[in-house]
Amino acid sequence: MTAATATGPAATVRGAPLGRLLGAELRWVLRRPRTIAFLVLFALVPVVIGAGVAIADRAGGPGRGLIGAVAGNGLVLPVAALTVSLALLLPLAVAMAAADALAGESAAGTLRGLLVAPVGRLRLVVMKAFGVLVVAAAATLVIAVLGVLCGLVVVGWAEGQMVTLSGTTLGFGEAMGRVALAAAWTTGQLLAVGAVALAVSSLTEHPLVVLAAVLGGVIVSGVLAAIPALSWLQPYLLTTGWSAGADVLRDPLPLDGLGESTLRALCYLVVGAGVTVARMLRRDA
Amino acid sequence: MTAHSVIGPAETGTGPVATPAARVSGLRKVFGSTVAIDGIDLEVPAGSVLGMLGPNGSGKTTLIRMLLGLTRPTAGTVELLGHPVPAAADLALPHVGALVEGPGFHPFLTGRENLRRLAAAEPLLATADIRPAVAAALERVGLTAAADRRYRGYSLGMKQRLGLAAALLVPRRLVVLDEPTNGLDPAGTRDVRRIIAELHAAGTTVIVSSHLLAEVEATCTHVAVLQSGGLVATGELASLLAAGTGGLIVVTPEADAAVRALRAAGATAYRTRDGEPAVVVSDDGPPAPEIIALLVRTGIPVHEARRRRTNLEELFAQLTEDGS
Amino acid sequence: MRRFGRPVAAAVAVAGLVGLGLLAVPAGAGAQPELPPVTPEELVRSVLEAKPGPFAGTVEAENALGLPALPGLPAAAADGTSTARVWAGDERQGRVQLPTSDSERTFVTDGATFWTWDSDTREVTTGSRAAQPGRGPAVDPATAAGELIDRLGGSSTLAVDGTAEVAGRPAYELVLAPQPTERTLLREIRIAVDAEKRMPLRLVVLANGSPDPALRIGFTDVAFGPQDPALFTFTPPPGSTVRTAPAERPGNRRGAPNAQVRTVGDGWDAVHVAERGAQAPGNIPDLDRIGTRVSGPWGSGRLITSVVGSVLVTDDGRIAAGAVPEQVLTEALTR
Repeated sequence: MTAATATGPAATVRGAPLGRLLGAELRWVLRRPRTIAFLVLFALVPVVIGAGVAIADRAGGPGRGLIGAVAGNGLVLPVAALTVSLALLLPLAVAMAAADALAGESAAGTLRGLLVAPVGRLRLVVMKAFGVLVVAAAATLVIAVLGVLCGLVVVGWAEGQMVTLSGTTLGFGEAMGRVALAAAWTTGQLLAVGAVALAVSSLTEHPLVVLAAVLGGVIVSGVLAAIPALSWLQPYLLTTGWSAGADVLRDPLPLDGLGESTLRALCYLVVGAGVTVARMLRRDA
Repeated sequence: MTAHSVIGPAETGTGPVATPAARVSGLRKVFGSTVAIDGIDLEVPAGSVLGMLGPNGSGKTTLIRMLLGLTRPTAGTVELLGHPVPAAADLALPHVGALVEGPGFHPFLTGRENLRRLAAAEPLLATADIRPAVAAALERVGLTAAADRRYRGYSLGMKQRLGLAAALLVPRRLVVLDEPTNGLDPAGTRDVRRIIAELHAAGTTVIVSSHLLAEVEATCTHVAVLQSGGLVATGELASLLAAGTGGLIVVTPEADAAVRALRAAGATAYRTRDGEPAVVVSDDGPPAPEIIALLVRTGIPVHEARRRRTNLEELFAQLTEDGS
Repeated sequence: MRRFGRPVAAAVAVAGLVGLGLLAVPAGAGAQPELPPVTPEELVRSVLEAKPGPFAGTVEAENALGLPALPGLPAAAADGTSTARVWAGDERQGRVQLPTSDSERTFVTDGATFWTWDSDTREVTTGSRAAQPGRGPAVDPATAAGELIDRLGGSSTLAVDGTAEVAGRPAYELVLAPQPTERTLLREIRIAVDAEKRMPLRLVVLANGSPDPALRIGFTDVAFGPQDPALFTFTPPPGSTVRTAPAERPGNRRGAPNAQVRTVGDGWDAVHVAERGAQAPGNIPDLDRIGTRVSGPWGSGRLITSVVGSVLVTDDGRIAAGAVPEQVLTEALTR
């Protein structure tokens, strides 16, 4: 130790412990008012759907589709809420987190502080990706938990069971497993969105550019999918697989759609991570 | 493995020091078609306080950012505490504290939380030491009272102090301060001066960029003057000032006649450069009373005569106005 | 590390793109498997006699029939791709699930009783198996192709056109083409028959004048072997409405009740003529907005044509349909 001191700079520690960095990032993400606001918003999604279904159920017969399937069948609510939110709200939240992670920090002048500390550039990407992961996971968790609670309390449950779209019934335990699967799958899709958003975030200093890019991407994907002449494009679009979330409500559980969309998400994740790292290793801060 | 002793500034301060705190050579940075830094060679001796001077847009901040590895040079090399930057910046930066381009903090966190976040990223800070280190840094810049208020509500001076505190979280071997007195009231400016003096006394090398020349003159041992991306002067403050010092300034409406008369009398004389109707007379000729007597005898009106004392402001003006 | 970091990161990004491409491009039709030669007649006989046993699979139907979108018709009838999940048990047991993006219809039979379930209406229809014609919707290529071979074998030229791989299984390509005397809109029907189980795995219908299939139904995934018996029974879930299908009125509600169906001709150009009477106009879609008005010695009516067939609905309540041009329909009406 003393010898190390004597040899001077060569004995320097290479970086702060990674766990400490991740902890700092976690605190930063969860202290941010925007994150809290989004989580509250996500807590409201199942409540609003549940209340709406309960009212509509009293007024008339059940509606069609996934929301209709919630009526009297509360354990479907978390899955329906996740599917509805995945269309726009969840990607928006993740894009926001990714926008703040690099572009926002750069614009606020706080990225310099971290780089000078120093946080190595690769570690910085890991740290920031972790922050986005936290937001994605927290958002789906809030929807899933509030969805289950609200489903049981507001909508009521089908004798403690979940009625699948296929007309079979699942016990409470298996139903919880299905909700957990939906949440995990949704988080996976969101991580792909987050990785791409982080890549955009690493390329710009304007957080709004990231939001616009992600929302634009989601909306344009939807439009492209609706054009029959461009059907060849569909297998490349992340959003193509987003209807697979409803698969957890089928019985026997079909894994094809969930698996394929997860693999596609993984590819997007890898592309996003590669671009982010390549860019951040050289980015002027 | 975990027990690394922090290399205190005292160790670098005592005894002869081989490696300069910072060294750049052939440094060049081009943004698009703008040349921000054009071929700078500079060495910052360990233990010195270097004042970096230059008008706005002269490249001070870009130079500092390249020193810290935040920006990659287009050409040339940077060494920080003996390590090449940015390749081995992670070896040097733990010993470097910096306040660059104004303080950057998150408005929704308190000053203390902001500092804790940065302290968590300091490699030399043990996890258990984060709280006391943050408290000590806040105390040192006089922010203890406001530490638990949100950064959003800080005044410009408080923000600047917080930025200073971040640079002082751990004992450093080099502290880089970019416009540290920006937005500070006179008391704050005095505090900055005191802190720089303390750092200097502890053997820490300090690089201060400023356009407040009195500030630099009061605190620095060395000066580097930048102009349009180039280095126009560098060296010890004392010798730079001495080089331009001396002589007598005689203010007269008939400056040209005065120059002729003085040169005829064997004195070295020339017109001042700033267009003022005045003449500079070197010390190597006749003493001042004789010169004035000579001019009066010749019938040249003398409005004022004073010793020429170069201060940094004058030196700076000379250096940076040469090009234009 | 930083020097190598960027190329590595870039390579990772490119690998992701490649992966995306691999996912998007369907597993290419591999080399045609080598199989012992078989004559068409042998193949047809083996198909008709085959007992493939229990299996589970996924069927994808690609529809380019060019049918007009009719209200009341299942979504699968419109052009596009639809999927069905199929299970077959030992004897007459079956389960078919037709998923859409946010709902599902399920058909289950245990051999004696059938159930249908619609998640949108939460209605269960149940009845004795005898009351239900067929085995549920003929969505799987095995059933559909079996019926076609049965019906068309006699008026076709048969050929085995090489081999193919369907759902990862080697198969013979059986081609049924209409004999020259048949006046049909269809060019040929290609049936991929599993080499081992002799079960049709894929059915492709090609119409005259188009190189692209008008209809393609095929397994994308099939596994033979015993199936969970629980799949072939159905317990109406809580909150559902259960309706019992009356035994004396077979057929589904959407069909023409009490229709007398007679078939004119046989084979490819067979025409089915039904007398539905002029009543119950609500049961069929309003035809005034689709089809073209035609008239002739047989009367007048509306003609709806698609790539693979035509339907003529006369004003006096007769319906003629077949995989034939208009002229054959009107001839059948006058006969």
